[in-house]
Amino acid sequence: MRLPALARKTHKWLALIMGVQAVFWTVSGLYMTAVHIDTIHGDHLVRAAEPAPIALGGLVEPGSLIPGGTRSVKLETQLGQPVYIVDAIPGRMLFDARSGELLSPIGEDAARDRALSYYAGVGGIEKIELLDAAPSEIKNRPVPIWRVEFAGLWRPTLYISPLTGELVAKRHDLWRTFDFVWMFHIMDYEERTDMNNTLLRVATWMSVATSLTGGWLLLYSFRRRRRARKAGA
Amino acid sequence: MFLIRTLHKWFGLILGLQFVLWSISGAMMALLDHHKVSGEPSVREPAAAIAPAEPLTLARLSQAVGAPIQGLKLRPLGDGYVYEAMTPAGVKLVDATSGQTIAVDEAKAAALAIAAFSGSEKVASVRKVETGDVETRSLPLPLWRVEFADKEQTTLLLSTTTGEVLERRNNTWRLWDIFWMIHIMDYTKRESFNHPLIITVASGVAWLALSGVILLFRSFRRQDFAYVLDPIERLQDERKTRKVANQP
Repeated sequence: MRLPALARKTHKWLALIMGVQAVFWTVSGLYMTAVHIDTIHGDHLVRAAEPAPIALGGLVEPGSLIPGGTRSVKLETQLGQPVYIVDAIPGRMLFDARSGELLSPIGEDAARDRALSYYAGVGGIEKIELLDAAPSEIKNRPVPIWRVEFAGLWRPTLYISPLTGELVAKRHDLWRTFDFVWMFHIMDYEERTDMNNTLLRVATWMSVATSLTGGWLLLYSFRRRRRARKAGA
Repeated sequence: MFLIRTLHKWFGLILGLQFVLWSISGAMMALLDHHKVSGEPSVREPAAAIAPAEPLTLARLSQAVGAPIQGLKLRPLGDGYVYEAMTPAGVKLVDATSGQTIAVDEAKAAALAIAAFSGSEKVASVRKVETGDVETRSLPLPLWRVEFADKEQTTLLLSTTTGEVLERRNNTWRLWDIFWMIHIMDYTKRESFNHPLIITVASGVAWLALSGVILLFRSFRRQDFAYVLDPIERLQDERKTRKVANQP
């Protein structure tokens, strides 16, 4: 077989196998580059916490909440009130830092108030529910977890820990789309996390071969036209 | 179809090289084990520690910090426990039992890195990083850079204010990072994949791929699949003739 014919044949057959995946790769890549990663992360959905001094006078001593079983304690402000987030042997807990009262697990009203205080967008809460199983968009996060969906553009959703009252994750449809196209990009259709799967490894090298044979074919594609033009003149 | 073929050719000529580079860099990143790249196994899970039964009181802590406190953490650091206080002037570390201010100096950083490192190799170098590079990315500076004498040249980057291990680097990551740079076309900082160059080229290459798929419909003839289609058609023909023969 002549070389140009061989180049055409290999490129054609490799492209038959890889063509659709090449479209998936480039279109998903285009989405991931065109929408800024800060937008994907939903940074615009939450208010930046403004640091304000906390009056330590009158606060319960942090070591006294779970005596002998405390791993770590964090003092922060939630809804304008100082709170302690304690990581202890029995688990994580939230305390009122002034009275020492146990606040966790927080109920629906407390979760709603916190979600509204974190949320930077317009529009109210559409739906609030306590999930016992983590949906795939927050897999690996501890459950139960409060899911608070807002009425804004792209279904903005905040996830709040009932144990600590903290914002755990923020999601919206641009993130969900990113996650969906990422699945096609790394070809892990189950977990969407394994970048070393065999399918991807084989497909990427086949893509190398497809593009290289394409380059090989280019050598003949242009020369031939120039000759034809000369013959025509 | 002729127009599509011409476009495919010219897009291939101009952008084909980037498609090759994306394929090769993607293939290499898929080959390099992501756990190794992330350096996860080179850092030990911190031992479960229990805070002192009676840590420094808040009143004494206030005195030791000497500035308004915006947030507070009581947490383990090295062998002991510290209070990490956020103040308008930055983070302050105070020993949770003695009340002494703790500075994360070179010796402390090395000790913390050794405690965090899961390997048994010695420290090769400790250096304070004042100006950012590809290894420190956008981490807050200055940083302590502690490199170990293992084969992977594992490097831990520690905060000079909190003493925390903020990032891990190793030779697998350094190799991976070169392909990452090629893949995201950010040749200086290797950080952003949201810049006009890559968006423009990605649009062009998406068209290259799509026009290629369109061309597939013209590039194949029945003859290319004859080895599959011929036997099928033969079977169909036989069935038809049998049907005709069976008809009364």
